[in-house]
Amino acid sequence: MSQHMSESESEPRRDADRRVSSDQHGETLIEVDDLKTYYEGNDFFGGQPVKAVDGVNFEIARGETLGLVGESGCGKTTLGRTLIRLEEATDGEVRYDGTEVTSLSGSDLKQWRRNAQMVFQDPQSSLNDRMTIGEIVREPLDVHDWKTPRERREHVRDLLETVGLQKEHYYRYPHQFSGGQRQRIGIARALALEPEFVVLDEPVSALDVSVQAKVLNLLEDLQDEFGLTYLFIAHDLSVVRHICDRVAVMYLGNILEIGPTEELFENPANPYTHALLSAIPEPDPTVDRDRIILNGTPPSPRDPPSGCPFSTRCPAKIRPEEYADMDDDVWEAINLFRVLLDERARADLSIRDRVREFRGKNVRFDEITEVRSELFGDLDLSADVERHVDQAQEYVEAGEFDRAREYLAEEFDSICDREAPSLCTVGDAGRSSACHRHDDEYASPDEEL
Amino acid sequence: MMSVENEFDDKTLRERIAENPRPAMLWVAGLVVLMALELGSIAAAVLRVGSVVKFAIGGIANTPSWMAGFVSESLGSIGGTIAYGLTALALLVIAAIVVKWLFVPFSIVDRLGLELGVGKADVVERAIVTAVVGVVTLLFVATPLGAAVDAVIGALTQGLESISSLQTLTSRETIPNQGYQLPDGSWEGTWLGLSPAMAWGARVLLIYAYAFGLLAWFWRGYNVFRNHYREADWTPRDDSVNRFRNHYWGVFGFVVVFVFVVMALWAPALSPVTAEANLYSPYEHEVQYYDEEIEDVASIPHGEANLETRSVGGDSNVGLMSYDKYDRFHPAGTNQDGKDLFTFLAYGSQVSLVIGLLATGLMTLVATALALMTAYYKGLLDLLTVVVSDSIISLPRLLVVLLLSVVFMEANHPIATIYDGGLLLALIFAATGWPLLWRAVRGPALQVAEEEWVDAARSYGQSPVETMKKHMSPYIAGYMLVYASMTLGGVIIGVAALSFLGFGVQPPTPEWGRAVYEGRPYVPTSSWHTATIPGLMVVFLVTAFNALGDGIRDAIDPESDASGDEAGTSAAASGGGG
Ligand code: SF4
Repeated sequence: MSQHMSESESEPRRDADRRVSSDQHGETLIEVDDLKTYYEGNDFFGGQPVKAVDGVNFEIARGETLGLVGESGCGKTTLGRTLIRLEEATDGEVRYDGTEVTSLSGSDLKQWRRNAQMVFQDPQSSLNDRMTIGEIVREPLDVHDWKTPRERREHVRDLLETVGLQKEHYYRYPHQFSGGQRQRIGIARALALEPEFVVLDEPVSALDVSVQAKVLNLLEDLQDEFGLTYLFIAHDLSVVRHICDRVAVMYLGNILEIGPTEELFENPANPYTHALLSAIPEPDPTVDRDRIILNGTPPSPRDPPSGCPFSTRCPAKIRPEEYADMDDDVWEAINLFRVLLDERARADLSIRDRVREFRGKNVRFDEITEVRSELFGDLDLSADVERHVDQAQEYVEAGEFDRAREYLAEEFDSICDREAPSLCTVGDAGRSSACHRHDDEYASPDEEL
Repeated sequence: MMSVENEFDDKTLRERIAENPRPAMLWVAGLVVLMALELGSIAAAVLRVGSVVKFAIGGIANTPSWMAGFVSESLGSIGGTIAYGLTALALLVIAAIVVKWLFVPFSIVDRLGLELGVGKADVVERAIVTAVVGVVTLLFVATPLGAAVDAVIGALTQGLESISSLQTLTSRETIPNQGYQLPDGSWEGTWLGLSPAMAWGARVLLIYAYAFGLLAWFWRGYNVFRNHYREADWTPRDDSVNRFRNHYWGVFGFVVVFVFVVMALWAPALSPVTAEANLYSPYEHEVQYYDEEIEDVASIPHGEANLETRSVGGDSNVGLMSYDKYDRFHPAGTNQDGKDLFTFLAYGSQVSLVIGLLATGLMTLVATALALMTAYYKGLLDLLTVVVSDSIISLPRLLVVLLLSVVFMEANHPIATIYDGGLLLALIFAATGWPLLWRAVRGPALQVAEEEWVDAARSYGQSPVETMKKHMSPYIAGYMLVYASMTLGGVIIGVAALSFLGFGVQPPTPEWGRAVYEGRPYVPTSSWHTATIPGLMVVFLVTAFNALGDGIRDAIDPESDASGDEAGTSAAASGGGG
């Protein structure tokens, strides 16, 4: 463990040297290398792990704020928790100031924890109601045996003022505070050990809109004052735009696009980013924009798609050459059909169903004909397509699900289903996006959408 | 961020008291007066605790030689010596863990500035403490230091013994109720010449007045602390206390339980006769009475007198609140042996409460520790505990308890002799009862383990044990209290049922269940009280514990009184508008 450790042990470094470093954006503080966090299923008898974070790479520079956005369940919170070692990484590396963090243990880990703290999402749940505010904010100092008890109490009072509360609140209980005030207490606790890196897990999403801005301003002020580095997790894009230097867009455990905030907002590269942005209500009603409506929900992280994680819902999914000029609606219907089949195949079966299946009875998708007419009913299918769909339906009726899926895959799979796209540079400000459409071979997402 | 020393008061409790000593002094003065009245009993209690501790330490100190003897029987003297050494070392290590936990809150390794690896630091820490404990032990055993300490303890004991012989306010001797009636109707030997019934009643009144006075004084002490010395002007506990005070059913339960606890604590003074004379050796104690035939005062052993005063139905009956022919007063009549039933019941409440509290305490301890650990670590530990507890729950409990107690008693196991089998019963009930308690708090425990403050504690490196203690246990303690108080009733009934079946606590130790069992044949006769009164006692006590549990549950559960809670919190902190 390098000097950094011993340094942080001795004296909190909040002063000059930190302020300097905060000004020089660019020096890397955190490097994440192919990080994976899987949860074993609750099942004691095997079963697929949940791939909450499935191989992400990025860096955070000292003093910057990286936003992490995505729908709920995309693994962004797990990623944040893995960075500060609240979850165990399954694979990959996290380097903090050059120190590999995922393998730390025992007192090394405890020492390192001073550097990285977290502000939690729910101000109701993040403060222990049975302790006074003073005890809550002081606990990290007690754990690390920071200076003398008297100095700790003073430090806590100073912190309370720093986050906009009063010294007198030391002996109050969390019950006596509003949500915004409670979040300020949580922030004070996170800052008690004078960390450099703070993970903000949707810090304002549980607050009233009127309070959100105040807390965000506080966070920005604190960043300036102490030279903090933030990972700002959010599902609310407008908040992100307000506070972040750079943004990473996460979907199903993968980062699909990452880059400077303004550029990403002005000119999104990845189809998923397009979709997310189009969901923000346009402040200017005169601007007419095509909203992209995404079908269905993200697939289960237990069993993500084999190719591009977004392929099951992507409105810009690349088509096989034969079907290049197929009608959009037909293409969409076919994709939906395949997703439904996949979901059915994955659905957990009850024991009774399993027995029935064992006896050769078709237990799922009895309603195949209905699905078929619902999806393709009023569409004009070409003879070819009609034939394929019929064939698939036949397999399903015979209970041969996997065969039906394979059959459709063979016919309609494109590169999006087969290969996971890797991040490639787009634009000219260090932005990258993971999509096959950035290959010159294909039309770019912009043109397609 | 300037440092602002002393701008805000930052004082310890002692400093705060020093600043405004009046309320505290007043309260302490009152307490001293109350205590002085009972100095003798307090000294006696200290002596008793001391002798138990001494007995326990002696037992522990003997284990190495016991082990050595045990092993050398089979493996020869070298094996014996090795066993002696190993056992002594094991004991030292255990003692060191306790000492470290109780007296050394800091890390010695850190203080010494030793640079050690992760796992090693803990081991070295233990080793240091063990060595220190070992050296101290050696000093005691091998040097005159041990003798000196012995002498000091001896002197202390003597001092306490002389204090303990002081008369106390609430003792039998202050208001004697035993006497005899002369033909002219006057009483000899009783307090102020009152009738034994009146004297006894006065004593009971005095005892309860004293006990409730003491209780009230402690409540006052809490209020003094709250008003004058506590830093926080409001805590969540205040709301709970207020809710409990307005919960009449719960307060009723509390009062009844308190009445029974006082009965158990003051059993020697409350009973009209001493336990020795009544229960244990009736033929060695005599009672004086006025014999009309010889027209003079005569005396007769209690045992013989009892033959004449049995309550076995028909003409042979001494009912409630009556005198027998030897002028002995029986508030609850006599039992089928002619002994005073009230004495039996008062001492019986000791037995019931001690077994009940001991069993429930052990159960609670095990269940709490397991609930915290299974909720924090989950996974395999949780699964294992589920399997074990389910297996225990699936057994018919009373049958298992019966079986175990019979086995241990027949084998004359040393445990079965302590407290006439009471300890054994408590252990058996605890061993079969913890799964129910664990089950009851598992849900709440899992729920707090999911709270973000537990994650927060982990994120700054709080140790698992501290996290469980500080951040989880307060949230299940309330539930524990509720379920424990209800379980306590179950244990009391269980013990009574066992005794009723003829197992359980053996005579002559008084136990309510046995009284019910032995008095059962006379329920339809004029001596109905012999079984009914003890039965009612069980019902009362169990109901009271349930009521107490109800009250506590409603007090800790703010949902039960949401509006009141809101009012309490509206003292919300102003300023720092966030
Ligand atoms: S790789 Fe294909 S499916 Fe994935 S985002 Fe790009 S176009 Fe859509």
